Amino acid sequence: MSEQFHKLTVSKLEKPIKDAVRISFTLPKHLIKEFSYHPGQHLLIEFEIEGESYRRTYSLNSCPFLEEDLQISIKRVKAGKVSNFANDQLKEGDTLKVMKPKGRFFAQITAEAYKSYYLFAAGSGITPIFSILKSILVASPYSQVYLFYGNKNQDSILFNEELKSLQAEYKQRLEIVHILSNPGLWSSWESWKGKKGRINSREIEDFINHHPPIAQQTEYFICGPSSMNLDVRKSLMELGIPADLIHIEHFSANQDEGIRKIDSVDHANIELSYQKNSFHFEMKKGQTILQGLKENGIEVPYSCESGVCGSCVAKLREGSAEMKTCMALDDKDIEEGYILNCQALATSERLKIEIP
Amino acid sequence: MPILPIEAYTSQEWLDREKRIIFGNSWQFAGFMEDLSDPGDYLTVQCGFQNILLVKGRDQRIRAFHNLCRHRGTQLLRAVGKKQKALTCPYHDWTYDLSGQLISVPEKEKEFPDLEIDKICLHKASVDIWRGMIWVHPKADAPSIIHYFDGIAEHLGPHDPMRLIEYPDTKIEKLIKANWKIVVENYIDVYHLAHLHSNTLQMYDHAKAEFGFVNDHYMFWEPLVKKYKDNLDQLIPYKRIAEMTDEYIGAYVPWLFPSLGLSETESSWSTFHVIPLAPDLTKVVLRSKLEPMTDWEYMRLGMKSGEAWKKIMGVDTKYKSEDPNDPMASGDFMEEDIFACEQQQKSLTNPLFSIAASAKQGESPIRNFQQIIAGWMKTEQN
Repeated sequence: MSEQFHKLTVSKLEKPIKDAVRISFTLPKHLIKEFSYHPGQHLLIEFEIEGESYRRTYSLNSCPFLEEDLQISIKRVKAGKVSNFANDQLKEGDTLKVMKPKGRFFAQITAEAYKSYYLFAAGSGITPIFSILKSILVASPYSQVYLFYGNKNQDSILFNEELKSLQAEYKQRLEIVHILSNPGLWSSWESWKGKKGRINSREIEDFINHHPPIAQQTEYFICGPSSMNLDVRKSLMELGIPADLIHIEHFSANQDEGIRKIDSVDHANIELSYQKNSFHFEMKKGQTILQGLKENGIEVPYSCESGVCGSCVAKLREGSAEMKTCMALDDKDIEEGYILNCQALATSERLKIEIP
Repeated sequence: MPILPIEAYTSQEWLDREKRIIFGNSWQFAGFMEDLSDPGDYLTVQCGFQNILLVKGRDQRIRAFHNLCRHRGTQLLRAVGKKQKALTCPYHDWTYDLSGQLISVPEKEKEFPDLEIDKICLHKASVDIWRGMIWVHPKADAPSIIHYFDGIAEHLGPHDPMRLIEYPDTKIEKLIKANWKIVVENYIDVYHLAHLHSNTLQMYDHAKAEFGFVNDHYMFWEPLVKKYKDNLDQLIPYKRIAEMTDEYIGAYVPWLFPSLGLSETESSWSTFHVIPLAPDLTKVVLRSKLEPMTDWEYMRLGMKSGEAWKKIMGVDTKYKSEDPNDPMASGDFMEEDIFACEQQQKSLTNPLFSIAASAKQGESPIRNFQQIIAGWMKTEQN
């Protein structure tokens, strides 16, 4: 089953902060329905850069309850092919190949709900969180929002201005606490009087104690680097919050970087079974299984190529493989032998893999 | 033609049905948000026949459970307390965590070898916060509190109760020897205001009162009389509520079905909670919140206002009496109301008792309220 890409035109490019670009797409009428989305969902985009294609997922930061263009924000990542391309070379009027919005991380927002939402974001993890936050304010008039937002310094806060104006508009329903790991001393001509540090368990407890929920039905959304996500979830669960109220988006800030160096085997032999066929091929050192499959012309499902979406999941029957990063599988999946083809490198001479 | 029969005010059987049908199926006032300020704080509240336990978790959420141990039904906790991390039944020490989950049973291996502890949880109830007040509903799947109070916000005062401060000496508890509905009917009776309280609530213009029902809830507003309004700076007994600008000023005195009256005035915000104890005995708990002020300001304003009242409004009582305990000579409108309610209750068992006529306008809220009660009682089947 191959998913369909649609060509969307970049209608607007903005620079909210120095090292980020905000991209808007205007949808042609016939795609409006297909591209309807929940706040928190993401787009999969294919970029053609210097003859190579790269797939990346970006959370929508626009609000589906307002008549606004689809919008994503891309922060520059050091040596990141796509993020640098988007920041330096993309122009208004360019077209990009985009799949319809997807993702299990979203808020189900209703007008009659009476809820307290606790949102935790770090760095660019704010993008889906911003969409959720704005949607609650706009479309759930009785609900309350509490945002805890971590950044490096004053200049790296995405949506700073937008958050300020929402706070002014929704004084009674929105509380925001910023925390900076490395606040600049004199940025914006004003010294930082807010919190310093990172979002950790002590800060989370402090944040919740200072912002007890009014509406007693609560929900928690977390988006940031995976280490933060897991810490926040652990802290929330220690406070007695049931796991089913906690939603996590593993936002990979290092989509372009490749986190782990894996010493993989050269010329590993792969035996793959997929849809009742079996394939044999050999891989080069440093290649992911997906790269090996593509090079050998074997078509298998895949999508984001960054370990986030889980489309390329496979089961390891024999041999060993290690993944560079893995946001789509939990510990139990990995224990059972599941791998992501886009992230897995062979660490034994022979591998037997099955795509379910 | 009375809408409710006399036994609605006198019989235990009727009260039991009310406790089951009305108090067991509606949102009830349980206190102010700040009553449960820290993790581990708890309180209990009676909803008809059901005692509900509220406890604050470390995540600052309030949990609501039926206060009965799953072992043999013993009440786990009583009254208000502090710092509970687990809920323990005093009888056999069965222990639950703050999610209501049973976590330990003494001598389990020997006495309950087959008991699956993780399948036993306290019965859940519903809890929410609305307008700075904690509300509880005995059903776990209660309709949203927003839905319950739908449409009434625009008839309430502009006060932000969460901002106001409760002064310790403003909490009053009274026992009234009358049926709880007599107390409610007195609260919503517009006709009596100018008469029973001719010398105690004379700062409000009862002739200009606006009132009516939104669903089961009664809404009431009346303006200040001119003399009081013109001299408000001197007469006001406490700091003026900041939100009470000239545009909004007046007394908002709604009744939230079934058992909570609010009194939202220019200088205070109060709850009047009615708790039925017996067919002819009702407890009321009054709590008031004021603008934050120092003890000194509180005293100074009280003295200044007292002096000004004597000069401008004149202080007098409806009747003169040698008896220092005569409620009708107390100058306190609440004492007057309690007296009237108790005198009315006394007559209900008199064979000659009947209602000759009911005031077209001023007593229409009473007839409406009785109709609402009658409507609830018809749902007996459940």
